[in-house]
Amino acid sequence: MADGKMRVLIVDDANLVRLYYRQILEEEGFEVEEALNGLEALERLLVSPADALIVDINMPQMDGITFLGALRRQALPLSAIPALVTSTESSADDVAAARAAGANFYHVKPIGREVLARYMAMFCGAPQ
Amino acid sequence: MAESELLDAEEYRRLCDYLYRRTGMAFTEARRYFVERRVEDRMIATGSSSFASYFARLRVNMEGEVEKLINAATVNETYFYREDHQFTCLTSNMLQERLRVKPPGEVLRIWSVPCSTGEEPYSIAIWLLENWPEVDAHDVEIVASDIDTNVLNAARSGIFGKRALMRLSAGLTGKYFTRAGPEHWQILDELRQSVRFTAANIVAQTETRPHGLFDVIFCRNLLIYFDDTSRRIAAENLYESLAPGGYVCLGHAESMSRISPLFEVCRFADAIVYRRPLEAKHG
Repeated sequence: MADGKMRVLIVDDANLVRLYYRQILEEEGFEVEEALNGLEALERLLVSPADALIVDINMPQMDGITFLGALRRQALPLSAIPALVTSTESSADDVAAARAAGANFYHVKPIGREVLARYMAMFCGAPQ
Repeated sequence: MAESELLDAEEYRRLCDYLYRRTGMAFTEARRYFVERRVEDRMIATGSSSFASYFARLRVNMEGEVEKLINAATVNETYFYREDHQFTCLTSNMLQERLRVKPPGEVLRIWSVPCSTGEEPYSIAIWLLENWPEVDAHDVEIVASDIDTNVLNAARSGIFGKRALMRLSAGLTGKYFTRAGPEHWQILDELRQSVRFTAANIVAQTETRPHGLFDVIFCRNLLIYFDDTSRRIAAENLYESLAPGGYVCLGHAESMSRISPLFEVCRFADAIVYRRPLEAKHG
């Protein structure tokens, strides 16, 4: 963070989706890290924490709900990283499960450029 | 051109018959000069002193010679965003139509065949990222196949020269490629990983069938190399590889209606494409 850029970790198993979010966020001035599933995300965060997370639900090895649950059980400051869950699942049960696991916000995909950038700016404390 | 003829008429015919049986590709008299030059290259490469000895080698497929000759004889010239009106049609019409009839959450499958050195499947991936606002809301699988294993290796490496990138804006090149040399660019890892490359011969059902059913197939500028019989077999294999209601896009000079009655013609605003009917046709 020496250059003052805020770091966002994208946790999604779809290559195209990660690339899509990454391009948007880099253009918006964020530094972006990627993980293909919850396990990889946890490992990455232990090595270098992020300022914000974008988390998909359905992923192999470890899904987004399990990942968030595990993250929230970590010590501070790791456990407090704000997380936006993006998913194609839109039922009230899915939203409730994500919230219970520790999602700060839940957005049903697709998520547009402006909306994604706004969530991340909010997480990173940018003036609204 | 008489003095440049390496093969006599009978030898050329035997070679073409053989290649046709192995690949479905019909090399006519018009392509003789081109084919002979490739055979000459291969004769030198294998140290064959005569066509007869080379042909003997070919027929027993010594050290994969059939594949090597096919690789040399198939023309692999393409570039990014070639005939992109069909990509417009993909995001404006075909994918929307497929999503309308598919069970929610099912993967959208796109097949680029032949994919040559990867320009077409990577173009599809870039096009989706740039022009499809729902790109993050659907699982998309892009499979890319070619008969030529050399081009598949090149495609996997994702390194391209200036010519391949000529239709891409500097903005897109800067966004999706990194410099790999003074004249070369490499496509981003996420894009390389988003395309699955496999070897397949479109006229061999044993090679097309394992790929499963696709929602959209791009099979552009391949059927023009085939004769009527191979074209019909290829059309049947394409049909079998499409989910009911799935689409196939051909090159601009190609027409499926001339080849096979299996498909419906669909005229969208940006392209004419062919669809496997939702209900099976009889007869």
